[in-house]
Amino acid sequence: MSDKEIIIQSLKRVERRIRANRLLSEFALGATLFLAFPLALKVLDLFDPLRASTITVIGGTWVLVFAAYVVWRGLRRGTLNQAAASIDKAAGLNDEIKTAFWFIHNPRPSDWVEAQIHRAARSAQSASVDRYFPRQIPKLSYLAAAFIFLFIVLNFVPLPWNHNWLALQAAPAFNLTPEESAILKQTEALLKKAEKLKQSELAQKLEDIVQQLQEGKIDAAQAAQMLDALQSQLDEGNLDAASIREGLEEMAKDLSESDKLQATADAMKNKELNLAADELRKLAEKLGLNSSDQNKQMQKSLQQASESPRLGLEELAKLLKEAAENLKDQDQEAAQEALDQAADELDSLQEKMQSQDLKNQAAQQLQSLQQSLRQRQQASAQKGQRGQKGQGQGQNGQGQKGQRGQQPGDQADGQAGAEGEPSDDAAQGGQAGAPMPGNSEGNGLMPSGKGGGDAPREGAPTQLDVKLQQERVKGIQDEGREENIEEVSKQERSRLDYRNVKSELSPAQKDLLNQDHIPWEYRPLIKNYFQAIRPGDKPAGKSTEKADKK
Amino acid sequence: MSTAIDQQVVTFQEQFKKVKDEVSKVIVGYGDIIDGVIMSLLAGGHVLLEGVPGLGKTKLVSTLSDVMHLKFSRIQFTPDLMPADITGTNVVQENALGDKFLEFQPGPIFSNILLADEVNRATPKTQSALLEAMEEHSVTVGKQTHKLDAPFFVLATQNPLEMEGTYPLPEAQLDRFFFKLKVDYPTVESLHTIMNRTTKIEEPKVNRVLGQGEVLEMRKTVRAVPIARPVQDYAIRITLATHPQPPYAHSLTMKYVRYGSSPRGAQALVIGGKIRALLKNRVHVSCEDIRSVAYGALRHRILLNFEGEAERVDTDTIIKGILEGTPEPT
Repeated sequence: MSDKEIIIQSLKRVERRIRANRLLSEFALGATLFLAFPLALKVLDLFDPLRASTITVIGGTWVLVFAAYVVWRGLRRGTLNQAAASIDKAAGLNDEIKTAFWFIHNPRPSDWVEAQIHRAARSAQSASVDRYFPRQIPKLSYLAAAFIFLFIVLNFVPLPWNHNWLALQAAPAFNLTPEESAILKQTEALLKKAEKLKQSELAQKLEDIVQQLQEGKIDAAQAAQMLDALQSQLDEGNLDAASIREGLEEMAKDLSESDKLQATADAMKNKELNLAADELRKLAEKLGLNSSDQNKQMQKSLQQASESPRLGLEELAKLLKEAAENLKDQDQEAAQEALDQAADELDSLQEKMQSQDLKNQAAQQLQSLQQSLRQRQQASAQKGQRGQKGQGQGQNGQGQKGQRGQQPGDQADGQAGAEGEPSDDAAQGGQAGAPMPGNSEGNGLMPSGKGGGDAPREGAPTQLDVKLQQERVKGIQDEGREENIEEVSKQERSRLDYRNVKSELSPAQKDLLNQDHIPWEYRPLIKNYFQAIRPGDKPAGKSTEKADKK
Repeated sequence: MSTAIDQQVVTFQEQFKKVKDEVSKVIVGYGDIIDGVIMSLLAGGHVLLEGVPGLGKTKLVSTLSDVMHLKFSRIQFTPDLMPADITGTNVVQENALGDKFLEFQPGPIFSNILLADEVNRATPKTQSALLEAMEEHSVTVGKQTHKLDAPFFVLATQNPLEMEGTYPLPEAQLDRFFFKLKVDYPTVESLHTIMNRTTKIEEPKVNRVLGQGEVLEMRKTVRAVPIARPVQDYAIRITLATHPQPPYAHSLTMKYVRYGSSPRGAQALVIGGKIRALLKNRVHVSCEDIRSVAYGALRHRILLNFEGEAERVDTDTIIKGILEGTPEPT
């Protein structure tokens, strides 16, 4: 190997070692500085849990910046000239290698230059890279390691609000309170029990909604709205339980007129439809043993019971009627078959009623969950408004208008709503406090398509002229039986669901009443209209507008 | 080939050492001064020794001439000294036939080693008589130019400028001195040695160890030492930093300096560096060599401005600042 090659090789070795040491040092410094950032973030997370999206964005940015730093430093290479200067300095060679390297690249026909290169080659050969440039672990790397250790420890701190980032855990966008979680579990359980009615997919939908809420894909208001939709879906095909029960009672009353059907009637009256079905089957089996008078009595009772069936009892009535006609025709076999089918229908009804009960309970739970979410949304909106206080007048106005309807009683009213039917008051109380983007007026009117997606706002609750005083209820003459009378109060707003109010409407009329086709967006309009035209009262709409203008 | 160069270097070092050892027999201490004087001789330059009277400047020079087989002259500069007293003059002579003619009578400058003692006591006019001789190694009298023998080496001593009856040397002449060496008061230990040597009956004697040819050979050796461009660049940057103009000017230079070093300063740095490299058994010049000769090579080439003069700024301070502020090449 020539002197020049010796020098070049030596310089390359030195350059590699210097670069390795430099990179180690710079990476240690960079890692220390960069690790301080996620560490600080993790500490912050312990006090104010960060969402997965926040961590992902910050973490991703951090990784990119760190990678860029590593690449930037990694690509930086030293020159052999610098290596020569370094080895000269480290070994005290007084620019010998540097001079030789320069003469290698700028050769001159001189014995002195050759001699200089020869001497430099000897010096380079004897200069140990390990001696002058030992591999060094930078002190900062210990600090970086400590940061990593601390970061790991912080992730595993057993605190209930701590989230292990290493296990890809982060604070959900929305935390359910223990009460809400309990409600959710109950609702899911109820929905799963109602599986026989093929409502199990609703449980899945509910889980999806909560998951989306926790992942921050939707906010609490959207979740409440989706729950609302879910509830509407749950209400679809609802049986009018009260009407059916009444109908069954009426039927039982008619059936009880026949001695043979007395047991069935009693069971129906006691709402034990399975028992009633069994009794009916037994009766069908022993139908041949009955006297003709008994059969006539039965036929008359069955005929009476099958008349004017309530909604949901049409099939039963039809079968009873069929049995009555068969009895009348003395077609015993057909009558037996019809009675068996009626028994089956009773079993089916029992099942449906049970499912309906479960659904109703689930709906109630859903309503509670919905209300809880809205309350929290309202609370966060108030918090936000306090933060924005002092900003533009227009913003203030919007927030304040949005707060209308936040009266404590409103939410209570909502809870007092009838089973399965969301209360308007509850909707008002729960939603009115939230600031509604897209609704600059804040008067509760929200046409669909503009800022849609938020809960309906129906303005301030209607102030009724309630007179809380004793009321004399007219007695109803009857056969002396004790009866609970439920009807619309004349002096106070009723808290009874109108569907449960005893009325003389036909089932078809009642069914019609049950359907509410008014879109919720237009409810405030209609409400304002009727309030405005209310006789002997100031127009509520105008007063509301004045209040808004203020 | 490398062995021959090595041998040359060793010979150089040995001869240098011989001269230094002989001089040191008489001159106590002042190792750096002795080195500087010999280096100036080997560089083909001249040296200016500055110091208060009685520090052995003249003794040093006379001793140096004693250890070399070289023709030595001494001129004591006084205010009434005339240029012709230095260079020589044409004298009317008469031949055997009685014809008269002018004949040049060489002055004391026609020697190998010229001691210009207390050079700043003469008037500038007389001082200037040395200009041509120092640079061109020739003397022009009338219409005739007379070459001086090589080596021609001027050793001038001067008292500090603050002393009475001194005339500052003109810039042009100062620039012709390779080094300006400051002779400080000896240390206590050195004084003891001086007392011991000079207060006895027997005075130390020196031997002649270096001849004319050897000096010239040594000069050749010095010039052969290679210098890499980066190191040369370092010397040039230091030189340029003595100038108050950007881009290389140092902050001290900009504040206190009127004129910086001429290219002769850079030459002195490089050649001085080469000699030092040889003395350090190297065949290349390092930045350290440049730095070590920077004070001697530049201190007399930096002319202070009014502010510098007023604040009595030492040029060594400026050079120190420049050396600290000029990064080595990488």
